[in-house]
Amino acid sequence: MKTLPALGDDARVRLSRQGGFAAIHAFSRPREIEFAQCDISQRTRICSVLEGCLPLDSTVSGRGDQRFYQIEVNYRSGEQEDRMVLKVPEDQAPGELVHLWDTGQLL
Amino acid sequence: MNDSPALRSFIPPYILNRIIAHGSEPQRTAAMITLHHVQNLLPNPGPPSRPPERAILPPPGKPGVAQRSLHDAQNKMLLPGMPVRMEGQPATGDAAVDEAYDALGASYDFFWKVLRRDSIDNKGFALVGSVHYGLGYENAFWNGAQMVFGDGDGEIFQRFTRSLDVVAHELAHGVIESTAGLIYANQSGALNESLSDVFGILTKQFVLGHTVEQADWLIGADLLTPKINGRGLRSMSHPGTAYDDPLLGKDPQPDHMREFVITQEDNGGVHINSGIPNRAFYLAARALGGFAWKKAGMIWYDALCDKRLNPDADFDAFARLTVDHAAQRFGAREVEAVRQGWAQTGIEITETL
Repeated sequence: MKTLPALGDDARVRLSRQGGFAAIHAFSRPREIEFAQCDISQRTRICSVLEGCLPLDSTVSGRGDQRFYQIEVNYRSGEQEDRMVLKVPEDQAPGELVHLWDTGQLL
Repeated sequence: MNDSPALRSFIPPYILNRIIAHGSEPQRTAAMITLHHVQNLLPNPGPPSRPPERAILPPPGKPGVAQRSLHDAQNKMLLPGMPVRMEGQPATGDAAVDEAYDALGASYDFFWKVLRRDSIDNKGFALVGSVHYGLGYENAFWNGAQMVFGDGDGEIFQRFTRSLDVVAHELAHGVIESTAGLIYANQSGALNESLSDVFGILTKQFVLGHTVEQADWLIGADLLTPKINGRGLRSMSHPGTAYDDPLLGKDPQPDHMREFVITQEDNGGVHINSGIPNRAFYLAARALGGFAWKKAGMIWYDALCDKRLNPDADFDAFARLTVDHAAQRFGAREVEAVRQGWAQTGIEITETL
């Protein structure tokens, strides 16, 4: 299982819903969250949502036209830009993740 | 066309294979290690080992007779839902149930009568379908054990059981997992999608009795509402032309390798780059004429079932197998039609297997 890295001011989280028989880009509705724009409480809660998704990450997400949520975390690790991608099957996605993607708000 | 340049890309397996074939020794070693790692990351589920839990199943049938079991998810996202129509039972009056029942039967018949395949696993696997999945759900899928259909939102999409080729496409995903097990990412994933489109459209043409000239070659022609400026979700004859709408955008499918889309969306654009092998199939079928399932369909199915087709196969590898099977099953004219079909999409097959 992947582990969530320490996310600082530079971190950016991109959420999108992908795949499906009608895999149309407009429907993925990507939402990007910049940690620099979030307070400590919001960052903590976002990290909590991401932590909850770690065990749900699946490399076979999407097969057979099943939709999935793609979480891309861009962050700074020392002097380097790094990136982590999680793919969470739609039927297992936590409500907090779906709400965050759909509305940009935390539950 | 690329993703945002700020996002780092990973190397797709077909490029790693090229490096292994043509790179320096250190490059080859590194690429082989990476490819092995990638393959370990992407296990294929293989054929369905058991029907969905809690599904009500018809008694085992005999080869040549479909065993259907339709359920109503009652707008929840719990599968399979309430059993509503078993094999042999009369129509319910619920359009989604009855369309799915008929389409699953037609899909079974196509695979059995044309390709002599007894259902998904070739052992009579029960065809379980659930309709009314979720609320306004804009999707249909195969989950490794059953098929699932949403009602659509009514604004953009109508219910997904309306198009026979969509139902057959989902059933074909089960067939593909039971045969080559093409990994659902990058070129092998686009092949997986394309083959589902191929068997989906052939099922429709078989039912309608359409020749290659009569067929519309549209996937999901009955899905979009009249409010949307589009003829369907994908065009196999002219990828990239199915829709152009303010809400949906323009159909992004390429019809040639020079327009291959490198992206990290949708598992490497499996629903986008499938336009290239879709177009190759259409061109081969068109050149051969008559009913597409009689020659082109047989050749594509032979290639899918060929043990030499690896789960991470690229377009080139699949194209070679189709040329080989055109020769094995038919003759020089068919070989040339298949070779030309691929060549017109930028995939040149000059060496035979």
